[in-house]
Amino acid sequence: MFALQDLHLHGLSLLSPELTLVATALVILMMDLIWKERDSWRLGAIGIVGLGAAALQLIGAHGTQDTAFALVAIDNFGGFFKLFTCASTVVCIAFVMLDRRERRHRIGEYYFLLVSAAIGIFFMVSTYNLLLLVLGLELASLASYSLAGFHKGEKRSAEASMKYVVFGGLSAGVMVFGISLLYAATGTLDLRVMSGALAVDPIGEGVARSLAIALEQSPGMIALAMILILGGFSYKISAAPFHFWAPDVYEGSPTPVTTFLAVASKAGGFGALMRFFGVLFVAPDVGELVAAYRHEIGMVLALVAALTMTLGNLAALRQTSIKRMLAYSSVAHAGYVLVGIAAMTQTGMEASMFYLAAYYFMNLGAFGFLLYFSGVTGRETLESLRGMGPKAPMITVPMVIFLVSLTGIPPMVGFTGKLQLLYAAMSPAEGMQLGWLAVCLGLNSVISLYYYMRVVRTLFLEESDAPKPAPQLPMAVFLVVMAFLTVWYGLFFSPLLSWAKSSMDLLT
Amino acid sequence: MDLLNTNPDNLSTLLSWLTFLPLIGMCVVLLLPASNLRAIKITAGVFTFIPLVLATQMYFGTFDKTVSGYQMVQHFEWIKALGINYSVGVDGLSMPLLWLTTILFFIAVPASETVPRLSKAYFVLLLLLELGVLGVFVSLDFFLFYVYWEIMLLPMYFLIGIWGGPQREYAAIKFFLYTLAGSVLMLIAVIALRLDAGTFSIPELVAIGKAGGFTGPALLGMSFTTWVFWFLFVAFAIKIPAFPFHTWLPDAHVQAPTPISVILAGILLKLGGYGLLRGCFPIVPDAFQDFAYVLGILGVIAIVYGAYVALGQSDFKKMVAYSSVSHMGFVLLGMAALTEWGMNGAALQMFTHGISSAACFLVVGVVYDRAHHRDLNGFGGLAQPMPRYWAMATIAFFASLGLPGMAGFVSEALTMVGAFQSQVGWTDEAIASGWMWGPFQWLTLIATIGIVMTAAYILWALQRVFLGTLNEKYADFKDISAREVFSLAPLLVLCIVLGIFPWYILDWMEVSISDLMQILTFAG
Repeated sequence: MFALQDLHLHGLSLLSPELTLVATALVILMMDLIWKERDSWRLGAIGIVGLGAAALQLIGAHGTQDTAFALVAIDNFGGFFKLFTCASTVVCIAFVMLDRRERRHRIGEYYFLLVSAAIGIFFMVSTYNLLLLVLGLELASLASYSLAGFHKGEKRSAEASMKYVVFGGLSAGVMVFGISLLYAATGTLDLRVMSGALAVDPIGEGVARSLAIALEQSPGMIALAMILILGGFSYKISAAPFHFWAPDVYEGSPTPVTTFLAVASKAGGFGALMRFFGVLFVAPDVGELVAAYRHEIGMVLALVAALTMTLGNLAALRQTSIKRMLAYSSVAHAGYVLVGIAAMTQTGMEASMFYLAAYYFMNLGAFGFLLYFSGVTGRETLESLRGMGPKAPMITVPMVIFLVSLTGIPPMVGFTGKLQLLYAAMSPAEGMQLGWLAVCLGLNSVISLYYYMRVVRTLFLEESDAPKPAPQLPMAVFLVVMAFLTVWYGLFFSPLLSWAKSSMDLLT
Repeated sequence: MDLLNTNPDNLSTLLSWLTFLPLIGMCVVLLLPASNLRAIKITAGVFTFIPLVLATQMYFGTFDKTVSGYQMVQHFEWIKALGINYSVGVDGLSMPLLWLTTILFFIAVPASETVPRLSKAYFVLLLLLELGVLGVFVSLDFFLFYVYWEIMLLPMYFLIGIWGGPQREYAAIKFFLYTLAGSVLMLIAVIALRLDAGTFSIPELVAIGKAGGFTGPALLGMSFTTWVFWFLFVAFAIKIPAFPFHTWLPDAHVQAPTPISVILAGILLKLGGYGLLRGCFPIVPDAFQDFAYVLGILGVIAIVYGAYVALGQSDFKKMVAYSSVSHMGFVLLGMAALTEWGMNGAALQMFTHGISSAACFLVVGVVYDRAHHRDLNGFGGLAQPMPRYWAMATIAFFASLGLPGMAGFVSEALTMVGAFQSQVGWTDEAIASGWMWGPFQWLTLIATIGIVMTAAYILWALQRVFLGTLNEKYADFKDISAREVFSLAPLLVLCIVLGIFPWYILDWMEVSISDLMQILTFAG
């Protein structure tokens, strides 16, 4: 009895970041009822403090290797994505606080839902158990559905929410079906049991088989399961051909929510996907059969990557709304990140994580810019930016840096990210040839240059007599800091690189 | 083996100072109030003048032209995890071009006086551009090289796109897209070399390439060195620009303001030729030799086609732009010949074309600032109101034409002789007998057509602008001003001095070129 209690206490202490977030969410909800302020910055501050506390605990727990309740893995890999989620959710909350239009709405619930979605992502990225993975994914999705439709009166927002629910439900179903097939074939839901790293299923009772045996007995079923599960992940990371929801939902959602979906939620999807494919196929000593299967999975991922980046970039070329353009651009970036995973190597996964870290700086910056200008002009079209460049240099010059970084031009962090991905694509797992993917990635950067530079052109090369936009100091400071970091980490990226490397403890 | 020669005598921080002085200048300009344009111009002038002094001192003082290998080397780890180093140094190939860069940027500042909508941002971008160009010429690490190579793009995009002519937006994005397309190919090739050889260091890559030590994977059905060669070649050929990648150049030139055209023609095009000599030929020499005839053919197409198109232009600036395409063809032809004369000619042509084309663009700028159009058929008789201008224009264009006694003559003659001596495509018996017509002998013959056409379009243009009956509208044009003379005169002096004493460049390059020739594996 005592032993059991000890176990629980130990498990709970391992989950302290998650518990902190749960407490934060509840406090926000409660204080909202007590304070009854429509326009409360205090609630946002609670959210930021809570996320900050969770982040500090995560940093403190760096290096811990443990499992809580036989379900939640505590490792650096999960820590990377959790910290990423904290950092991006903080920015999203700050965006809500900065955007006057957002604060018309029931603000307490807004923050509550953002923190809840973060909790969902926390569980999604830190489990080897597919059931918990689906639960985490659903928690994050449910919160996101409501967030997407938060502007209740607006048709666009309602449409976004509806589309998101339908697509999300469908792909969750597809994924769960894939998982059930995998369960049927292997008799376990634990990835480590499937990979052969664990001999006994820590929670299951049935007869578990490793994936290697299952592949021998029912290869068709495994193939189907893999495709279906990949489909589910593709939805979460907005990869082709499951990306169709992304532009509409991103455009219709309130901008802070779009930011959350494009940065935090997408990274969470990548975390889960990398854990899934990493443990099953990339880890060393997976056995001959699985190692051979690795190439097929890698090729499928490479094709998805190539398709995603190309479709995303080609569609972005034609957009006249910046928000929609950023949406398609984020689809293209999902394709880039997939390149590292498709290489099916540890370095490839590190490259993908590095790229996500780079993506954090440049994309949050770009969304901050969007938030500022849609707040000033009330519109999100490219047209409304005409000639604004010299009128608000503190806002627009950082934007140029973000766009150049998104294109992947040195000395920006986006370039070093692409460098790692090209590295990964050109040194894939043994027996694979992904040189063509490297060329595809390179040429996609050229395509993307055109639409990113169109924003720069509208800002700086065209003229208009529109009035000078009203300054907003906190946003300017935020953008300048992000732009500085984009350049700084582009020139001295060793810290980011070693963070990504030390977080890749999944495969050992 | 210490390929960088990092003994204490050879170490120096001079090159880093040279590279980063424009960056310091940029920061100073940023701190100045935008309303005080005069102070900004003076600051920009000072921070382009100090590098000029420094580079001149290096050229005639510090740099030892008798020593093989890199000089004034600086080397330290930059990003350890990926083996990236900050490593800079100069040899006989880069030293003259470094000097040329500082000359042209210094000249560009006073030449910017007449640029419309001139502002603080212009000088910030100009100084940033100089940082990129100087950096490329001093880099001995391919990663560093690439970073500097790309740093140039954004300033150039804005300089054309904001301060250019009516079609500036189109020209700016076209320039950007073309160059970036080449750059990503270069990046892929550089990463492939890094993965295969384990280093970004250019001297080490050259050593491995010379030994034929690359064993990387094939791509798109080509062997490793072949595709690396093509990727690198396309990247540099776009910059040169070689046919068929040249179409961005006329647009960029015509739309760019005068000082930017000067820099574009004077230096940015040289980066392509320099890249071939620094980063392509010595690293994959076998593939370079295998495809030398393709390069030769592209070079001759550029010479003849560029001259032919220039002949048909009625826009003064576009004519000079196409003449650049034509003249840069000589660089390609000279390199592809794989002879010592040809290499010397190509390397010298980069310098001489740098000064003569820069002078030509300044000349065009002078008349454009007065007439506000560049229609060759709309002028006439300008020699009467502007005699001094006529004299200077004549020198500039004759230098470009390659008149004996002028800089362009020496380099083009060297290139032609070098190409004619070339043994590329010869059979073994022919090499033994020592005399045969091969592909390059034919190419040299065809290239002479280009030279004749060059004479035609330049003389015809001079005739239409300066001779004939004076267009009454232009009778009261003021002659060339002191400021314009200040920009133009140094270049014209160099055009003549280098025509008479070409060894002031050739001697500096001699050791490095003969080192390059050692790499050649075939007889001859």
